Amino acid sequence: MGAAWLFLFAVFMAGALLFGMIFFIVNFSDLESDYLNPVDLCNKLNKLVVPENAVHGSLAILFLLSGQWVAFALNAPLVAYNVNKIINKQHTYDATEIFRTIDKHKKQCFIKAGFYLFCFFYYLYRMIAALVAESQ
Amino acid sequence: MSKTASGRTQWEIPQGAPVQGLQPTGSPPPVQHTKRRQYAAGQTQAYYGADGLADPTFAGGAQQQPVAGGQLFTPGLVGEHQFQAQQGQQPGQPAYYQPGQEPEYINGPAYGQPPQPAYAQAPIDALAGQFGQMGMGGQKQFQLYTTNLLTSPPEPRELYRPPPEIRLPPNSCISPSPLANSDPSYKRSTLNAIPTTASLLSKAKVPLALVITPYRSLKEGEEPVPLVTDTVIARCRRCRTYINPYVQFIDGGNRWRCCMCNMSNEVPQLFDWDQVRNQPGDRWARAELNHSVIEFVAPTEYMVRPPQPAVYVFLIDVSHTAVQSGMVATATRTILENLDRIPDEDQRTKVAVICYDVSLYFFSLPPGSTDPTMLVVSDIDDVFLPKPTDLLVNLAEARTTLESLLGRINDMFQENSIVGSAMGPALQAGFKLMSPIGGKILVLSSSLPSVGAGALKNREDPKILGTAKESGLLQAASPFYKTFAIECSRAHVSVDMFLFSAGYTDVASLACLPHYTSGQTYYYPAFNAARSEDALKFAHELGEVLAMPIMLEAVMRVRASRGLRMASFHGNFFVRSTDLLAMPAVPQDQSYAIEIQIDESITTPFVVFQTAVLHTTCYGERRIRVITLALPTTTNLSEVYASADQVALATLFANKAVERALTHKLEDSRDYIFQKLVDILVSYKASMTSGGAGASAQLAISENLKMLPVLVLGLLKNVGIRQSAQIPPDIRAYSQSLLTSLPSQLLIPYIYPTFYSLHNMPPEAGTVGENGIILPPALPLTSERLERHGLFLIEDGQTIFLYVGRDAVPQLIMDVFNLPSYEVLRGGKTTLPVLENAFSQRVNAVIQKTRESRRGVYYPHLYVVKDDGEPPLRLWALSALIQDRADVLPSYQQFVSSLKDKVNGIGGGY
Repeated sequence: MGAAWLFLFAVFMAGALLFGMIFFIVNFSDLESDYLNPVDLCNKLNKLVVPENAVHGSLAILFLLSGQWVAFALNAPLVAYNVNKIINKQHTYDATEIFRTIDKHKKQCFIKAGFYLFCFFYYLYRMIAALVAESQ
Repeated sequence: MSKTASGRTQWEIPQGAPVQGLQPTGSPPPVQHTKRRQYAAGQTQAYYGADGLADPTFAGGAQQQPVAGGQLFTPGLVGEHQFQAQQGQQPGQPAYYQPGQEPEYINGPAYGQPPQPAYAQAPIDALAGQFGQMGMGGQKQFQLYTTNLLTSPPEPRELYRPPPEIRLPPNSCISPSPLANSDPSYKRSTLNAIPTTASLLSKAKVPLALVITPYRSLKEGEEPVPLVTDTVIARCRRCRTYINPYVQFIDGGNRWRCCMCNMSNEVPQLFDWDQVRNQPGDRWARAELNHSVIEFVAPTEYMVRPPQPAVYVFLIDVSHTAVQSGMVATATRTILENLDRIPDEDQRTKVAVICYDVSLYFFSLPPGSTDPTMLVVSDIDDVFLPKPTDLLVNLAEARTTLESLLGRINDMFQENSIVGSAMGPALQAGFKLMSPIGGKILVLSSSLPSVGAGALKNREDPKILGTAKESGLLQAASPFYKTFAIECSRAHVSVDMFLFSAGYTDVASLACLPHYTSGQTYYYPAFNAARSEDALKFAHELGEVLAMPIMLEAVMRVRASRGLRMASFHGNFFVRSTDLLAMPAVPQDQSYAIEIQIDESITTPFVVFQTAVLHTTCYGERRIRVITLALPTTTNLSEVYASADQVALATLFANKAVERALTHKLEDSRDYIFQKLVDILVSYKASMTSGGAGASAQLAISENLKMLPVLVLGLLKNVGIRQSAQIPPDIRAYSQSLLTSLPSQLLIPYIYPTFYSLHNMPPEAGTVGENGIILPPALPLTSERLERHGLFLIEDGQTIFLYVGRDAVPQLIMDVFNLPSYEVLRGGKTTLPVLENAFSQRVNAVIQKTRESRRGVYYPHLYVVKDDGEPPLRLWALSALIQDRADVLPSYQQFVSSLKDKVNGIGGGY
């Protein structure tokens, strides 16, 4: 039973993270097409970076605690990457450098969005698999 | 269609009557204008037709044949009959090696002059050629002359030459005025012929960029920028380009076609109306159709609020060290003496003075009183203004109070024993005071900020100098300086830093504020006002900064013809959107570099770059300064090389190197610049010489890029970039801030100093000639030229060294220094006496001229360097001779031969 609930929760979280990433991407393209200035953009997005990383991290910890090794292994590299960035204080967007680095940021957001999308379906699959396993 | 007073129709070019003196005498009447409407098609055909005919072999490359005499071979030129003849006349040696031609050249005002015919064999008839060829149908090709770097040593005079001529196709400009295209001192491009496709550009490997100095100082005798006062501003509806000499008038002169996006726009109704005399005016006499650099008075649509007054807030460090070094006394005296020079034509300029150590001292200056009141705020965690009024006062009204305050500050804090600096809180206070208006904050600091926001730690660690971690020391240590800079930029506040310190003062962090707010950093290591040279230098520079007219509340945008995109920006500003640069207060003579990408292939015969700076003058007028540069396009690789501007390239490389040093490592930055140079040489060798891809005994480059390797070597040896474990991070950071903000005219001497031999200078040197004081011929930067009995001058725009040989005759020492012999002479900072003898006066005149001839506020220190004097000073002076080998850094010969190996694929670094 536990596994199904866990993955149901994970599906929702992955969905939320996916939307979060899309929000980031939309903002970056707004900046590129001049609907937004870099200072506002950075103020807006920097508030969301740590929560996003935290949600993702806690999900990974949840997998670890409940012994979902495959799901944890899937998430571990990204957690390590995020932690490394926070330790080096490079997790925030710098308004003065944003135009020089925007391509990199966008690429990163696209990769993350793709990853969350994959996770979303993977969790869904695992949830269904868990439900099926339970009912048998 | 309206009629002018002369009875001509408006849009016709005046045939006989000259356009109010704009038409250079002797230039042919612009008959071709009658055909203007067929211009695009006819011109394109003429251009490409000529191109194709003159260059039949380039594409095929089959007719390659060795040329007698010259070992280097340029396929693009085979079709030209002149080539062989030239080779015959002057095998290998260009004309200007003949010594007879030099003195005149050296003394010509460097940049911005019409090209001198002395430029090699290039068939340049200067402006006559440019305009004379109009109507001839074809366009002259750029001639590419290949040089072998191994056999032709660098020649300093090359650097004074104007960039390769801009040869626009005929009929592209509607004005016959020589000022219709931008002067290189305002705007120059690394390529004066723009490749039509990105692939051609990437094949050439020469980066495409603009170097812009929109607000440069005017020297005596220079024409001021023409001003359009009638607020009739014609702009393209689609791309917002300002009307310029490169547009076309169509439809009977009622419409104009934009030169960038081809949009047809209506000519504003009042365009042909002279509002001053209230009568029909002459369209062809309008400044915006005849000048490339102009200013418009902006109507209210260009204002978010009424023009702001100029505001100067002085933050003066009054801690123990600051007072003891004499900085406070010098600064207050300089400000006092320069109150009259602060721009205040309309009596609106506002001034505030805040002193700080670990507390803040505000001064209330009620107008009319002579008694300033001091208000102390010691709560620096949450800065507040102790009084709502009288802190920021009108300069004219509170003049007497201000004078009495400035006269007393030093005495007030004479006994101050507090050590420490609350610079961050002081900045916040100053910002609070002026943020509703905007303006300039001048910070005078003598110690590392230690308390409150923006406190910094001494992070200088000799162990990590010269290692990969060193670039960390060149980045801001505290995020405060970036976030505060952004706040400042939003409120139109600019910050200038004057840093004086005996110890570490973290220039890298503090320079962030000027960097993002278009200010400037000034650094005076080990400042001591007891030495009159130190005090003089600082007083001169601060005085110049105060007296300098500034552009307030400015935004800058560069527009370019379709297909071209501004890709990245270098310089002191904040990038507010993809192509908008915010500059709260633009000082004079600050330079910006913008890299350009070719997004789609260009089909037009020429392209236009237009820089617009919307700003408020310091006397309260909203204006737009527009700088237009038109460049021809080319499909021919040899033209790309022949039109490359080595000075602009070096300026761009300096900016790129600093950017690279901050984002990567210093070593990466050096490798990157070196690799760029190698790429250019490899590509040149493969496509422009008969050697092809194989190994070659030569190192070929086009004549106009001959100095690029030595400039790159100078850059690699510059204090900001150089490989060394001895350079303090403060000195590096300061040098980097200079590398990214100096205009080309100052930057080139900064990376390739000038070197004169004074003891044997020609008799006319140092005397007054046609163009002011005549300078001796510049020597190549190698110690081979030093003689044991000589007197030499080395100058890089920031420092002047007077190098005295150890066998200098007593008469020389007597004449110059008024001392009996070489033994008595002391090395170090000096003020040279002016003595009653011709030689002393000539030496002084040369020094005076070198100081004056540079743009910018800098007043270089003069050091006397003895041949056998203190080793550090001697090494410092000799490090300016960049063609010598120094420590691990290669000599020019070594550098060139390592370039050759690299180009031939043998590998190895520089």
